[in-house]
Amino acid sequence: MMTEPIVSCRGVNKIFGSGELQVHALRDVDLDIMPGDFATLAGPSGSGKTTLLNMVGALDTPTSGEVVIDGQSLRGMGKSELSDLRLNKVGFVFQAYNLVPVLSARENIEFVLELHGMPSAERRDRAREILREVGLEGLENRRPAQLSGGQQQRVAVARALVARPSIVLADEPTANLDSKTTEELVQLMYRLNREFGTTFVIGTHDPRVMEHSKRHIELLDGRIASDERS
Amino acid sequence: MIASLAWRNIWRQPTRTALSLTGMAFASMLLVFMLSFQFGSYDSMKANILRIIDGFGQVQPPGYKDDPEITKVIRDPSGLIAELESLPQVTTASARANGYVLLANGERSFAAAVAGVDPVKEVRITRIASLIKQGRPLRADDDAAIVLGEALARNLRLKVGDRVTLLGTAMDGSVAADVLKVVGIFRTGITEIDRQIAHMPLDRFRETFVMDGAVNEVAIIGRDLRDIINAEPRLRAIAARHDAVYLNWGQLQPAVKQAITLDMTTASLMYGTLVIVVVFIILNTLYMSVLERTREFGVLLAVGMKPGQIGRMVWMEIIFLSLVGTGIGIVLGMGLAWYFGRVGVTFEGMQQIFSQWGLPPRIYPRMTPFRVLAGPSAIILLIAIAGIIPYRRVLGLEPVKAMNA
Repeated sequence: MMTEPIVSCRGVNKIFGSGELQVHALRDVDLDIMPGDFATLAGPSGSGKTTLLNMVGALDTPTSGEVVIDGQSLRGMGKSELSDLRLNKVGFVFQAYNLVPVLSARENIEFVLELHGMPSAERRDRAREILREVGLEGLENRRPAQLSGGQQQRVAVARALVARPSIVLADEPTANLDSKTTEELVQLMYRLNREFGTTFVIGTHDPRVMEHSKRHIELLDGRIASDERS
Repeated sequence: MIASLAWRNIWRQPTRTALSLTGMAFASMLLVFMLSFQFGSYDSMKANILRIIDGFGQVQPPGYKDDPEITKVIRDPSGLIAELESLPQVTTASARANGYVLLANGERSFAAAVAGVDPVKEVRITRIASLIKQGRPLRADDDAAIVLGEALARNLRLKVGDRVTLLGTAMDGSVAADVLKVVGIFRTGITEIDRQIAHMPLDRFRETFVMDGAVNEVAIIGRDLRDIINAEPRLRAIAARHDAVYLNWGQLQPAVKQAITLDMTTASLMYGTLVIVVVFIILNTLYMSVLERTREFGVLLAVGMKPGQIGRMVWMEIIFLSLVGTGIGIVLGMGLAWYFGRVGVTFEGMQQIFSQWGLPPRIYPRMTPFRVLAGPSAIILLIAIAGIIPYRRVLGLEPVKAMNA
């Protein structure tokens, strides 16, 4: 039996601006992300990595072509439906961590679960459990400003994973981290992929991340230049 | 947790929040105190003016107010008085008869409005008895006696113990004439009253003016003017049953009502301006706060929060802020109104003008739920409505653009 892709892009184009200022960020991209993929998306600056991640994560919609996430096409979806889709299917890890500064580590995670309508006690237990999984036990009540960059990024990973999304997208997650913390974070994501089968697509040009990649997608001028599995 | 997040968001910039709260609290405090003070002064003005002559309301024959002919009468007021006094809001109802006469002393004569009053009951309705400056008030056993205003007595060169001649037209059209002994001279401080008004016993008046037990009006009083205002529908019904009409305080003292309306209109403009200025200052602060957090809102959209949820969170912040600000203002305003409600407020050099409007030299703020809550509620309501501006901005956010802001 054929396994269905989690994300499927067909003939995706994305054009920003108009007239002489028009930028063709993605050109006829065809891409399938399969369950359990631990894929890196690489390419020089301006190659379209972030734009493609935004399409795959339903943060943006294509100018033409179609993106289907877990069987749902983004075509014609309103803002609220896209929000629902992101909440239920996608987890995000950002370069700048992007945690809510006034919430503690645990609350940042619980917040996502609350959006899912999970009861308070269950939320709390689930948040503690995931924080333990990412090695932040004992730091639950610290606010982002009281955590190191690596710790904040672990919280961000935990936040992305807590609702058990179909896919986790990470855009340059190690760009602000030192080597040791980068290694720890990559090992963490790799372990989560191995143990729980979580699908990761990581936009990066960090060789330390690419080393662990099972699939390497190279973008150049908005086109997929190569797509290799190891 | 969204409510908790909204609450914490308010305190991200504690100094800015404290300044916003101070502005709102100050405006609310001012509104609570000023409305209590202003309405308190109206209460004093109405009660004082009405207690000099009119009472809190009157039952009269139809058309008597506009054309006070002595022939327009309530023939037998006893049943009417009994019904009026049966109302819990009415403490006293007192019959009166009025005549426009010429008072003469030797070669001096002046026009005056003489009222025949029940000396026992009238003392509960008007303050004339307490405003007697020479002599004494009318008594139940008085017959050919009169008390009159200070200016009228002065013009007629009368003093206590003198006799004054009264000439008028009786109810049957004949000449009404009497000679009365001045037993008291009063001073209300209101020129028109002190120059024109005189009181004599009702029975003697009816005899002199051939009224055969009839009266021209029945004045009523209650513990509080608001009690009488609230009882107006029942008072109207009672009056109608006796082929008469009920006149409320505003109909008895239209000039006072108009003055209060005018003063209230002017003050409302000031209060309205204050509220609008405060609302715009707060809105500006909140809008700035929303603009600053555009990137964070983009992240919240990315993790699956709906634009409407973020908008409601921002709205909640606005409501929390206004509730805290106005709450502090209400407490401070009530404290201020309570303090001055005990000691009163005096305006040096204004006593003469105040007395013309029936105001006492010391004015006491009086709190009611309306006076305390009207101003702060207006602030909260307008801020909640104005909150649609940041709310709509949040609704328009796109996650990618917002995160790149």
